[in-house]
Amino acid sequence: MTRYVMVIDQRRCIGCHSCTVACRTWNKLPLDIIYNPVVTEGAQGTWPHVHKSWTPLLCMHCENPECVPCCPSGASQQDPDGTVWVDPKKCLSCKVCVNACPYGMRDASHLESRLHRFVRKCTFCRDKRQLDPDAQPYCVLTCHQKARVFGDLDDPESEVSKLIGSVKTERLFEEFGTEPQIYYIPELGGKA
Amino acid sequence: MKHHYWEPPIALYLFLGGLAGGILFLSAVFNTFVVPGFAEVFAMPVLVSLVCIAIGCVFLVIDLGQPGVFWRVWTTATSIIKWGATFLVIAAVFALLFFLAYLGDAWPIFAGLSDLLKPAAGFFLGVAGFFGLCIMMYTGIMLSTLKAHAFWATPALPVLFTVSAISTGCAAVVLSIGGWPAEVTLGTLIVSEVVLEILHVVDIILVITEFIILMTMVLSFLGAGNVTAKKAAKRWVCGSYAPLFWIGMVLVGLVIPFALYVGGSGAASQLVAPILVLIGGCLLRFLVVNTDDRAPIPGEIRYYERVAKPDAEFVHKWTYGENIF
Repeated sequence: MTRYVMVIDQRRCIGCHSCTVACRTWNKLPLDIIYNPVVTEGAQGTWPHVHKSWTPLLCMHCENPECVPCCPSGASQQDPDGTVWVDPKKCLSCKVCVNACPYGMRDASHLESRLHRFVRKCTFCRDKRQLDPDAQPYCVLTCHQKARVFGDLDDPESEVSKLIGSVKTERLFEEFGTEPQIYYIPELGGKA
Repeated sequence: MKHHYWEPPIALYLFLGGLAGGILFLSAVFNTFVVPGFAEVFAMPVLVSLVCIAIGCVFLVIDLGQPGVFWRVWTTATSIIKWGATFLVIAAVFALLFFLAYLGDAWPIFAGLSDLLKPAAGFFLGVAGFFGLCIMMYTGIMLSTLKAHAFWATPALPVLFTVSAISTGCAAVVLSIGGWPAEVTLGTLIVSEVVLEILHVVDIILVITEFIILMTMVLSFLGAGNVTAKKAAKRWVCGSYAPLFWIGMVLVGLVIPFALYVGGSGAASQLVAPILVLIGGCLLRFLVVNTDDRAPIPGEIRYYERVAKPDAEFVHKWTYGENIF
């Protein structure tokens, strides 16, 4: 089996927002939709002991997604490889999945025509991987810091497996029981 | 952070759906157990509930991004929204059958159809009442299953919505019972008065119950909720929603109707108080739907505060209209 996950190394991320730009350019996103914002709480600490860490976000492609069972039309779905995606041909844009996501990683664009909206979200570049199974998402390819690592968690030889097995990683909002599949390697003992 | 994905039409739909469910439930209970044999006095309340369901469904469908294919809501097994839509349709169909059974009394052109349906009218209203109860519970349960939102994910919310729905249903029945198409006879007048007297007491109890549940929910969030729920409850109790909450919902929607029900007579208790209860119920749905606070990811609020507003018009001109944005 294949289980796609992403490891994000916060020690490497410098907050250049290249992944945000690459994603919205290649996926041709409307202006009010951002799949992968890079957020920060700003500089922390007191001079001279200050630091700033960045948290690149994207859909967590949860093992137990909140957004899939609530969908009334079957548009929100999960592939066997763990990818959570929305079929625009089936979506009603009722936005129940948007409200169900604890990470706020879904929305329908308000800039599209009023009667043809659908919910959009990061799909780990599913369309690209369908053409070439070894393809990497655009945000991973563009990251010059190599802060984003994408791969198959079920393959013990993959880089993500080795990283998750050897370095301390954190996940966001584990208390919701969604089993998010984006692993953060925190900076300075961090707060991913 | 992005907020308010669900807009006012959804809040209005939750109110109208609950109101319709409450009317059908109360009509069915009274027709079956309290005053059997005078079903025609409930024809007007059932018509009101049908109008509420119709308007609510219109709001629900136009709020969709793709209204033309709303029927896709019935294509999966797990979704709770599918159950809501199913309850709504069944309740509406049986309510319509019940109403048609008495429409012939006023419009002779329907007399044949009415005579055909009349023997089963009690059954129709019973089924509509059961599914009305389901609609009332569904509106709250649907919100409370969305556990990402601290203010919704509480068992108190379905209880509050159900009690409020029965209370608003009570008010609507008080306002409409015995009206057209029922003929005014001594029997219907007496039955209407009896039902009004009972509903008078019932609504006093419901208003007190709703007050207790509302206060328990909001104040326990304020005192013992997690960070997100506490912030939301603070907005209700002493923040930007406080005027709407204390004056609109508590005073106008609960305390004044209670005083009018207990102390007032005539128009005050039979006209003003029910209208105030309806306003309070509507306000409750709006405030709850707008309180969709989600626990923010650290740094998320700062990010969305700083991100530029989408300027689609500019991009469109800049790219000579070739860009899809």
